Amino acid sequence: MKVLYNWLKEFVPVTATPAEVRLRLSLSGTAVDAIEESPAGPVLDAEITINRPDCLGHFGIAREVAALYGLPLKTIKPKLKESNEKVDTAIRVEIEAPDLCARFTARVIRSVKVGPSPDWLRERLVALGQNSINNVVDATNCVMFELGHPLHAFDYDTLQEKRIVVRRPRPGEKLRTLDGMERALTKDMCLIADGKRAVSIAGIMGGAETEIGFSSKNVLVECAWFDPIAIRRASKALGLRSEASTRFERGAETEMAELASRRCAELIQQLAGGEILAGVADVYPGRELEQKIEFSRQELLRVMGADVPDKEIEAILGALGFHPTRVDANRGAAGSLVARWECRRPSWRRDVTREIDLVEEVARLHGFDKFPARLPPAKQPAARLPHAEAEDRLRERLVALGYQEILAIPLVDSEQDALFRAEGISPAKIVNPLSEDASVMRSSGMIGMVQALEWNLNHGERNLRLFEIGKRYEIRGGKPAETRVLTMGGTGLAREKSVHEMAREFGFADLQGDLDRVGEIAGGLRWQLGGPGWLQAGRAATVSLTGKDAIGAAGQLARRVAEAFKLRQDAYVAELLLEPLCDGYYASRAARHFVLLPRFPAVERDFSLVLADGTTFAQVAETIRSASIAELTRIEPVDLFRGGTIPPGKHSLLVRATFVNPQATLTEAQVSSFSARIVAALEQKLGAALRTS
Amino acid sequence: MNEKNSKVDRTLAQLGAATPGAVARLFTDLRAEFDKDVAQDIDAIDVGITHLNWLGRKSGVISKLTDNWLKTAPLELRPVVGQNLNALRAHIEGEVERIKAAKEAAEEQAALARAGLDLSLPGVERVIGTRHLVRQTFEELERIFLSIGFSIVEGPEIETPYYNFEALNIPEHHPARDNMDTFYIDAPGSPRGFLLRTHTSPMQIRTMEKQKPPVRIVVPGKVYRRDNPDATHGYMFHQLEGLAVDTDITFCDFKGTVDYFIRSFFGPKVKTRLRPSYFPFTEPSAEVDATCHVCGGSGCRVCKNSGWIEMFGAGMVNPAVYGFVDYDPKRLSGFAFGIGVDRFAMLKYGSDIQTFFQNDVRFLRQFP
Repeated sequence: MKVLYNWLKEFVPVTATPAEVRLRLSLSGTAVDAIEESPAGPVLDAEITINRPDCLGHFGIAREVAALYGLPLKTIKPKLKESNEKVDTAIRVEIEAPDLCARFTARVIRSVKVGPSPDWLRERLVALGQNSINNVVDATNCVMFELGHPLHAFDYDTLQEKRIVVRRPRPGEKLRTLDGMERALTKDMCLIADGKRAVSIAGIMGGAETEIGFSSKNVLVECAWFDPIAIRRASKALGLRSEASTRFERGAETEMAELASRRCAELIQQLAGGEILAGVADVYPGRELEQKIEFSRQELLRVMGADVPDKEIEAILGALGFHPTRVDANRGAAGSLVARWECRRPSWRRDVTREIDLVEEVARLHGFDKFPARLPPAKQPAARLPHAEAEDRLRERLVALGYQEILAIPLVDSEQDALFRAEGISPAKIVNPLSEDASVMRSSGMIGMVQALEWNLNHGERNLRLFEIGKRYEIRGGKPAETRVLTMGGTGLAREKSVHEMAREFGFADLQGDLDRVGEIAGGLRWQLGGPGWLQAGRAATVSLTGKDAIGAAGQLARRVAEAFKLRQDAYVAELLLEPLCDGYYASRAARHFVLLPRFPAVERDFSLVLADGTTFAQVAETIRSASIAELTRIEPVDLFRGGTIPPGKHSLLVRATFVNPQATLTEAQVSSFSARIVAALEQKLGAALRTS
Repeated sequence: MNEKNSKVDRTLAQLGAATPGAVARLFTDLRAEFDKDVAQDIDAIDVGITHLNWLGRKSGVISKLTDNWLKTAPLELRPVVGQNLNALRAHIEGEVERIKAAKEAAEEQAALARAGLDLSLPGVERVIGTRHLVRQTFEELERIFLSIGFSIVEGPEIETPYYNFEALNIPEHHPARDNMDTFYIDAPGSPRGFLLRTHTSPMQIRTMEKQKPPVRIVVPGKVYRRDNPDATHGYMFHQLEGLAVDTDITFCDFKGTVDYFIRSFFGPKVKTRLRPSYFPFTEPSAEVDATCHVCGGSGCRVCKNSGWIEMFGAGMVNPAVYGFVDYDPKRLSGFAFGIGVDRFAMLKYGSDIQTFFQNDVRFLRQFP
């Protein structure tokens, strides 16, 4: 709310500069974002928290200022010159929906001269961002900005049967509001009607037909109290927010209604002349009972951890209207630890209902800065997340392997998500998406990866290695399920050309090797041909830790999917469940033991084999092992090629075997005998030929 | 040399050297001969030949002297011959080594002059990955809170309205819901429905439901708001929720904790202040401001000339919340806060929230 500094001064004799007032207000709960200049003087742009509707008027802010500076607050006492005619003879007010309207007051002013407002009022309204309409409407707005309570002025002569009925709308009832829009009304709204028809949507906006115009003669001033929830619902349903609805939905003040009405009548008379009919038509079914709340030093100390002197407690609560009275047995003693005060809640503070609310009032006006800071001693050991360490190690490896971590927004395009969705998965769809491209929670981590590849390729970054530790989401049996996944992606060059090295494309083997380095710390991965549909057939693999339950898939992104994202180069991607990886990490960590380093040198032998196509390295290794050489410690493939002197249908594989005897140095004769046994086994079982170069 | 060679091929007797003085003179001559041999330009010396002539096993001067002078010397002259011979050998060996080293150094110099290191060429660049800036920020914050006894817990992103709103004292139709526009999730067969959590606060409730006090936790995670994205707001962002509840936690502890971690994160010179505010689940509530880490509080573009930057919302746990988790509000008190992690990263490093999640490697590489 915008607050005119000069207007505040009409209620509280503050002498501090606007900048000082701004700071004090900001540090006591009324955030003032800026001070602007206007013809009506400095304007403080105050942000009123939703619990403080009493501060949506200058008088309420003035009360805060008075409490902050210990200054007196002026009492509002409007002086009316009333005619002999009683208002009751001119209007009858009925409330048919007392659950929606706790109080309705009406005053009637006859023979006004509707015209433009004087400069001082127009300047004020403009400074507050409100258009000036005419002196009568401006008077209602002025009082709203002054006292915080909304009012509405009707052209009295347009009200039929001289009756006001507060009720729910009838089926199909409509109203054209002041802004010229035809509004359809629904049964939960609160309506102001005359004897025949709707004339105003209660607390939100008046009707066009009963609007005050320059030809209006007689005015009915409405000042009422409407149920905050009803106003809020109606305002949302109509998509219509107004200064009035904002105040009512936060909870206006029932007691203020009559005072604001009187003040408004006074102002109308001052601005537009006329005769105020005697009295007020005031139907008040929802009068609130006075509420008493206790405030104790004990609770103050328990919550705030530091004390506030008696005098200050009393000054703060008194200035805010709580009338504190000491009620404990130690009444005479200042600073008593058992001191208690009984407080009466003022009608403008519906937000205060408990002792803690009073503690907050005392603390914020005393100043949060006056409470000392201290670090509470820890009583328990602090624990990280159970999977944190495993995740750290995985992340460490991935970073070392050259992968950059991405974080993707899990809200994605439904059609794109479907490209990666496994069969039978029902996605977590957004009921009220902002846009189609963010209408479902991703059912695979892969979409975030592919989107990141897409973004980078479109921005000229062609050589990429990315990973994400995130989640995928689905609805399983009517309930949401979130599964943690690791996704990886690589494309472009694995190694870029430089003065030192040749370029090399990133391929399946890069992804496989990198995944193995990651899987190694979880006990090692096992690979199987074949994978989900988002991988290219024949270039797809499934991985597991045990050989049984698959924990993910890796391979070349299917061309069909790559095309959907307009990726112009091959990409290699993987998605793995994180939980088995983390469990595997802890399990394999626990099972690790030191292996004695061999004291005697290892001996290597290379075998250049010519094999029939289709023979796998695993078969070769298995065959070599079948020779049962205890000294054999390692079998590794060193070279693989086809063509040249190798006949079609065959390929050449260079295999290296390593032998170690833990007890002695191996002799040439021993190693030759191992070689002979290996060659014999390979020839016999795989039909391998030893290649001579 | 040939003339000398003839000398070394003969015995001392044949040379007529019968006194120690005569022996010494013979050795002095030989030494002068050697020195003359190697006194030329270093490039002209062939170390191999020099070595062969003087130190060669079969016909080098030293071995001939051993055979012809030492072994044939009369007993009384032997020690003198031996000493002189050793001295000469040491001299020659030393000189040959020196010349060798000098020649090698000269050759290296020449090689370097032909093809030396160009240090302005980059070395072989092994690609190393990076952790995402937001992840790094989380780690930094988590480390700070772990150091003062806060455990880390996690919770679901797809929540129920109960945990996200009601149990946090935000009933339906509460105006506070206006600030938290919510995405709802379509879950057939689930009448109460699900939503994307608008804050990490639901974990306050879930934790207190499961755990007796004392509670001291921080909750990292993604949250969602149905806001149209701009430079500082996205519909997904990250929060770190904090909660401490015990029989003796006060506002002073809250202040001390906030102060400690703001200084730890932004630097020891940064000061904090608490401004009273309103949140349904805390009371008293506060906005935490910190002195601008860029200008130090004197006012600049980052802090819009105020010297202060709004950091996050926090406060003492509203006793109403304890009612939802069966905690005794008369006995327990605590504080809670919700840090915008992306916002913290933005404040500390610049950038904007849209860049964070585009995952452009040119951005990711900036924070190794």
